[in-house]
Amino acid sequence: MQTAQNDPVPIRTLMTMALIASLFWQAADARAPRPQAAKATNVAEGRSAFRTNCAPCHGLTAHGGGRGPDLTSGNWAHGGSDAEIFRTITGGVPGTEMPANVLDDGEIRSIIAFLRSLAPPVHQLVGGDPGRGRQTFTVGAGCAQCHMVDGNGGRLGPDLSRIGAARAVAYLVDSIREPDRELSSGPVDPNNHYGLPLPYDTVTVVTAGGERIVGVARNEDTFSVQLLDVDQNLRCFLKKDVREVIHERKSLMPAYPENALSASQLQDLLAYLVTLGRDRREPGKDQ
Amino acid sequence: MKKICVLLLAVISFAAQSQVTYERIVAAASEPQNWLTYSGRYEGWRHSTLRQIDVGNVSRLSMQWTFQVADLGQFETTPLAVDGVLYGTGQNDRAYAIDARTGRTLWRYQRHLPDKVRPCCGAVNRGLAILGDRVFMATLDAHVIALDTRTGNLLWDVTAADYRQAYTFTVAPLVVKNAVIVGVSGGEYGVRGFIDAYDAATGRRLWRFDTVPGPGQPGHETWAGDSWKVGGAPAWITGSYDPDLNLLYWPTGNPSPSNYGGERKGDNLYSNSMLALDPDTGKLKWHYQFTPHDLYDYDATQIPVLMDATWEGRPRKLLVQANRNGFLYVLDRSDGTFLSAKPFGNVTWATAIDAQGRPMPNTALEAGAEGTQVCPGAAGLTNWFSPSYDPATQLLYVATSNQCDVFTSSPQTYRAGHDFLGSIYVPDPEQRPSGALKAIEVLSGKEKWSFPYHTTPNGGALSTEGGLVFGGDSDGNFIALDAATGRDLWHVQLGAAIYSTAITYSLDGKQYVVIPAGSGLFAFALPQQ
Repeated sequence: MQTAQNDPVPIRTLMTMALIASLFWQAADARAPRPQAAKATNVAEGRSAFRTNCAPCHGLTAHGGGRGPDLTSGNWAHGGSDAEIFRTITGGVPGTEMPANVLDDGEIRSIIAFLRSLAPPVHQLVGGDPGRGRQTFTVGAGCAQCHMVDGNGGRLGPDLSRIGAARAVAYLVDSIREPDRELSSGPVDPNNHYGLPLPYDTVTVVTAGGERIVGVARNEDTFSVQLLDVDQNLRCFLKKDVREVIHERKSLMPAYPENALSASQLQDLLAYLVTLGRDRREPGKDQ
Repeated sequence: MKKICVLLLAVISFAAQSQVTYERIVAAASEPQNWLTYSGRYEGWRHSTLRQIDVGNVSRLSMQWTFQVADLGQFETTPLAVDGVLYGTGQNDRAYAIDARTGRTLWRYQRHLPDKVRPCCGAVNRGLAILGDRVFMATLDAHVIALDTRTGNLLWDVTAADYRQAYTFTVAPLVVKNAVIVGVSGGEYGVRGFIDAYDAATGRRLWRFDTVPGPGQPGHETWAGDSWKVGGAPAWITGSYDPDLNLLYWPTGNPSPSNYGGERKGDNLYSNSMLALDPDTGKLKWHYQFTPHDLYDYDATQIPVLMDATWEGRPRKLLVQANRNGFLYVLDRSDGTFLSAKPFGNVTWATAIDAQGRPMPNTALEAGAEGTQVCPGAAGLTNWFSPSYDPATQLLYVATSNQCDVFTSSPQTYRAGHDFLGSIYVPDPEQRPSGALKAIEVLSGKEKWSFPYHTTPNGGALSTEGGLVFGGDSDGNFIALDAATGRDLWHVQLGAAIYSTAITYSLDGKQYVVIPAGSGLFAFALPQQ
């Protein structure tokens, strides 16, 4: 391959699809086509094409990567028919990282066949109450101190306004119970074609005077680091002026084990989160 | 009358100066005020004897001018500097000439590309070559063209290959004698690689060397079945040349598909190799393959650095290459004899290179549920961006990446003009990739110093007799280091990743350093006293 890394354009490809894809679960769309009896050869080719074009964002198994949503939820926010997925792949989704892709029809059809072949998700929602979940989010568990939804809430963690459309329930459960297990990623620098997104890891800057400032990196390069500290202030440092910049491969988010968030509270919270990012349109109808 | 004579002499002098002859390129080291070929000179050194900017004053560098190419994407060009004019390229096959003193445009050329060109990794171009009153460009639609140095007018345009089958050019050509030499891109699409030479005057093709041997040719037996037809082995970085030996050294890239070898059993010559060609005929004189039967995309498309040194007690003509596979190779360039290979970073795909120059595979590599973690990753310990070599210190300055990838592998059906990778690799999720600009003692392979980059680099190194090494990182910093110690002496943030390597030239007694970043060329010099 010619350049430093695999071209991230295809990498981003299915990302939006995942955005699209996420949860509409209950809406599991009467209109959505039944998984088709795809030929095994198509699935194998689709797997290969998926890995080449989509896996860098959506993960090798399509369960979501650093940037791309999970494509195995079985529900598709931007339409789940073959034609709609086809359109999403070729046209991308404006306003997201999902680009338009130059693939031929056969490749796209094989990718769709591969996605159809994946095991359907095990639904973990067992009837939580979205209203109670919202309360848990904003007050009970304090999620809103750090996460923003539709313009309200904190800034330290990822904006969750579309999380329901971007991630499967299993991922949400992991993120709540074990936030260090897989760190979320921030945006990619558009001026660095081969750059990787910044992870939401914990960064501590130790100043020359010994003060420790903890936060998440909004940016960093060879000579400087820019943080959003735990008080949600932007702090910018030259590395030559500080004693140390420490990266810890863990999330700033506290874990919520059962003794902090009961099983029923978790179900409520999930029931709320999966509503986030739903299109305003009626599920199952084209706009 | 006297005035007229003086004027006439001046005109003749200008005319003579504006003509770049082959002899001038051979002797490029004697005119350090110019930058006449991709690596500055045929030996591939990217080192300048200019010394106005030095360790003591580099901190006072200031911007002189900026030129905007007005396009997005990776700006990978190396401009040529010729008697006060810079000739460069930009994304999507733009070309231009600018006043080297002010950055003002003299002409622009924009190729009208068809919609279906398929460059793997951006619509990039790495630069022009010059001979006489014309510059030469290899284009994304697989043509080679000649432009007039004074107007940018198209003088000839020849088709080298079919872009619809994903043949492209991104390389800066190399002029040797009257030949314009180019190597093709397309290793991600199952092209059959080649290196071509065209007559600078007419565009007539003088010769072609197929980097994947056909039936009946030596090396064909290293490809199973029909795999040679889509075998890759592109040749997308500019080679080096030894006028005394009359040998052209041109490296090649990965076999196709890059990550699946099941259908192409064998060594897959001449992928990932150094080729020594007769530039007059295109005949192969010798070859050395760095990574036989590659599965990790370890193109050998790094600059061959030619140097003469005493090796184990006797003077030898050496070829040195810091290879993407993580080993620093030393070969005898007269006959291709393997002399040594030492890792210059974290390497796990092979445990060593044996005395015959063949890699010893690492049998301890373990495949996980989602693939096999291999170091270096597909981006390599280094890549196409240029190293520099300082003959005084015998140090090689190499931009390096510290990144391992998780590789998967699966069969893929070839379709003309489409990706043909055989699966993919992703960065090791447990590791934060980073980089470094390293100074390596060429003969011993020992690291003298290492300057850390926060992220993996895409820009190379320029060294100067001012005791400096200029590098650029992927976060947009253009950096001057002390060549002896690696200490950071000066840097500036240019706002976009650097995908190329600096050049330097001199005009009106002032030394300039020019670096591309984003869509701009940025020129720096010392402020006026």
